[in-house]
Amino acid sequence: MIENYAILPCNGLDKCAGVISREIGLKLCKNNHNEIICPVFARIADVKYHKITDQYPLLIIDGCATRCASKLALEKGFKVSKKITVTEEAKNNHLELTNTLKLGENENALMDIILNKLATPEEKAAPTSGQANVEYHFDYETFQNGKFLFRVPKNPEIYYNENDCWAYVIGNRARIGVTDFVQQNLSDILYFTPPDMDAEIEQFGEVGEIESSKMLIDLISPVSGKVVLINDTLIEKPELINKNPYELGWIAELELTDFESDKEFLIGFDKYFEIMKKKVEGLK
Amino acid sequence: MNNKVKVIPCSGIGKVYGLMAREAALKTVLELCPEKAETICLARIVTGDKEVTDKIEGCDCITVDGCPQMCASKNVSIAGGRVIKEIKVLETVKEHKGKKFGSATQLEDSGEIVVSEIAGKIANIINQNN
Repeated sequence: MIENYAILPCNGLDKCAGVISREIGLKLCKNNHNEIICPVFARIADVKYHKITDQYPLLIIDGCATRCASKLALEKGFKVSKKITVTEEAKNNHLELTNTLKLGENENALMDIILNKLATPEEKAAPTSGQANVEYHFDYETFQNGKFLFRVPKNPEIYYNENDCWAYVIGNRARIGVTDFVQQNLSDILYFTPPDMDAEIEQFGEVGEIESSKMLIDLISPVSGKVVLINDTLIEKPELINKNPYELGWIAELELTDFESDKEFLIGFDKYFEIMKKKVEGLK
Repeated sequence: MNNKVKVIPCSGIGKVYGLMAREAALKTVLELCPEKAETICLARIVTGDKEVTDKIEGCDCITVDGCPQMCASKNVSIAGGRVIKEIKVLETVKEHKGKKFGSATQLEDSGEIVVSEIAGKIANIINQNN
């Protein structure tokens, strides 16, 4: 059986998926030596819950796609080992959930499926190192220039600077990287120098370097903040930036210090896409 | 936006008083005052979900807190809700000294009684408010 998780359910109240998240969390705690985390109290009980999340791998159970528990974990910088979203599990198992808060046959069946899944030993993941396991989804617009394809994410959570760097902001944290324009322009990237962990980065400050056979460029951070995670894989495999500068070749994650002010100097997809197209055309 | 009073319990989980706060809120909105009251998920409020913060901004809210941290009351106020009554589960619990109320997952009879009392208090406030 599953045991020794710290469990953070969204504990949702206005949808049955939230009720299921709560029930699963409580069942896991009742039958095993797991610790439950109150999602809202966790925001102010730093010492108590960080102690628990340091001791046990953290299991997040979100009810719906709003993913409140994930957001709260990110906000608090908890290490996440495993995540479950009830509505996704329902979809995957072709179970339609009720619109009421009362759990019926389908809801109980789904709970059993999820509990069984968690009880399977291989489903228990090891804790990650410092990574708040947030899912970043990219929704792209593309621009073709000759044989070169430029993809630019158009998610509203993604902000750009005119130095062709992006910041995907969720809560008080941002994942940053370069756009396709940079990797296409540099050609084969050979070296990646990451920023220092815990470094305090100013907006438009340097947040690492990348070098190709053509040139070396400083990465200009769109946002200010503290470096809390680095994409170490790029040190060995900088070519991932060429392969996909968004999902694979992202640079680092920063804990934001003043995003509201930073935002004034950033642009959204629409503006950046036009700027990038002009830059590409200017390369001819 | 509707005019229903928002009854918002804390997200208390893992302790019986949190369960009592939740059950009292649900009893109110589902059984006692379904036409006049509704509940909203506190986690969505604190994560700044616009759909729910728009719902509570400037609206009459009754918060139900299971512990002295008063997470529901504080966060609803921060989000712009007008808290017309702060319900503290422990105040009603004190009136039932020596009773066993149950666990974090299951209420005993005394726990159910306290929940009904709290829900009754909330329903009275809602009915007087309308």
